[in-house]
Amino acid sequence: MEHEELIEKYVQNKLSSKEELVFIQLLESDPAFKEKVTLHINLKKVIEYEDAVNFRNLIATIEEKVEKPIQKYSYTKWLVAASIALLLGLTYFFNMNQKADTDTLFAQNFEPYRNVIAPSIRSGSANHQDEKTLAFLAYDKGEYKTAIALFSKLYIKTKEPYYLFYKANALLKLERAKEAIPLLLEHLKTKDTLTQKTNWYLALAYIKLKERQKAKVILKKVIDNKSYKNKEAKELIDKFE
Amino acid sequence: MEQNHINTLRLSNPKEISKLYYANRAVFLNFGKKYGLDYDDLTDIYQEAFIALRKHALSGKLNTVKSSLKTYLFGIGKFMIYDRLKEQRKTTSYEATLHVSDEVEPIVYEDNTQELTIEQQLLRTFFKKLGKKCQEMLTLFYSRGLSIDDIVEFSGYTSSSVVRSQKSRCLKTLKEMIKS
Repeated sequence: MEHEELIEKYVQNKLSSKEELVFIQLLESDPAFKEKVTLHINLKKVIEYEDAVNFRNLIATIEEKVEKPIQKYSYTKWLVAASIALLLGLTYFFNMNQKADTDTLFAQNFEPYRNVIAPSIRSGSANHQDEKTLAFLAYDKGEYKTAIALFSKLYIKTKEPYYLFYKANALLKLERAKEAIPLLLEHLKTKDTLTQKTNWYLALAYIKLKERQKAKVILKKVIDNKSYKNKEAKELIDKFE
Repeated sequence: MEQNHINTLRLSNPKEISKLYYANRAVFLNFGKKYGLDYDDLTDIYQEAFIALRKHALSGKLNTVKSSLKTYLFGIGKFMIYDRLKEQRKTTSYEATLHVSDEVEPIVYEDNTQELTIEQQLLRTFFKKLGKKCQEMLTLFYSRGLSIDDIVEFSGYTSSSVVRSQKSRCLKTLKEMIKS
């Protein structure tokens, strides 16, 4: 059997046990064959990865098309939203002719990520007032200093990566971007449901520190991977040019 | 499982996927409600479960599954609901959920996607520079696991020899990019 055919079958897990033996022998004795196989294995990984990213985006687009249930906004909330929009609009108008200032960009785009780990609204019973509850309760209430202290403690204890993410968010809110960056970088090494959102916050942290080049690189990643806030990332990067 | 659904997942034609996605969405959200999760959590979970389902279709795992697509999808979804509840358990009271009864068996799902190595990241940029047709062809073969004959059957190519030569042309272009 041709080498190509063997590799083809290997890639699709279709080798018979006899072919598998031949395959292994070749792998051990023929460096050129081994090199070829490595390329195909890498290619498979890369294409699977790319395919998975694209599929995730497809699903996100499909989900976006669903009409969301109407949320009950009160009149005052609308009013507040409208005045903020007006303010942002005016700020933008006044900044239009100058290179956007990083502090404004940060302020316009940063919002601490919502607490999905321990939503306080549903804490029906008061028995579970442990540190985790208190930490997220403080976060929800905007008591970021308390939250930071508790997140640090809890991270040391449990090593749950999401504490890194939320502590970084709280630090960013307190304009302590320099401290947030190492946490976000650490969080990027882990894989949890929040990891795909990390780069967005990392980019904002760099913006806050006026590190435009680094911010740009990260924003590009957000756009290329079509991850969380990629539309906003695109708008943001345009303001850098 | 229904072979037509498995094919839909493997071929991933956006229109067909969207139909299948919507077909089970409302029922799933309704099913998940009784566990006390909110709309945002449940839509998140439904998306993740659907993505996981498709992964199992690509890996060939679904071929031996006897239950219907809906049951399987709900099984993964239920596992993910439990997972989310577990994350929240320490802080909130979920005694109520213990009394939820339904006939769906949770199906364990672990995301074992690995980050790409630097070498692979480079390869990815080359791959993205290929023409759309080449990307599609190689995706069908490497990621979706379609045989050459499958590709002839499900795509616009007329014969297996056409597919073969197209595929090796694509690989050649890619190898040239790597060399340069």
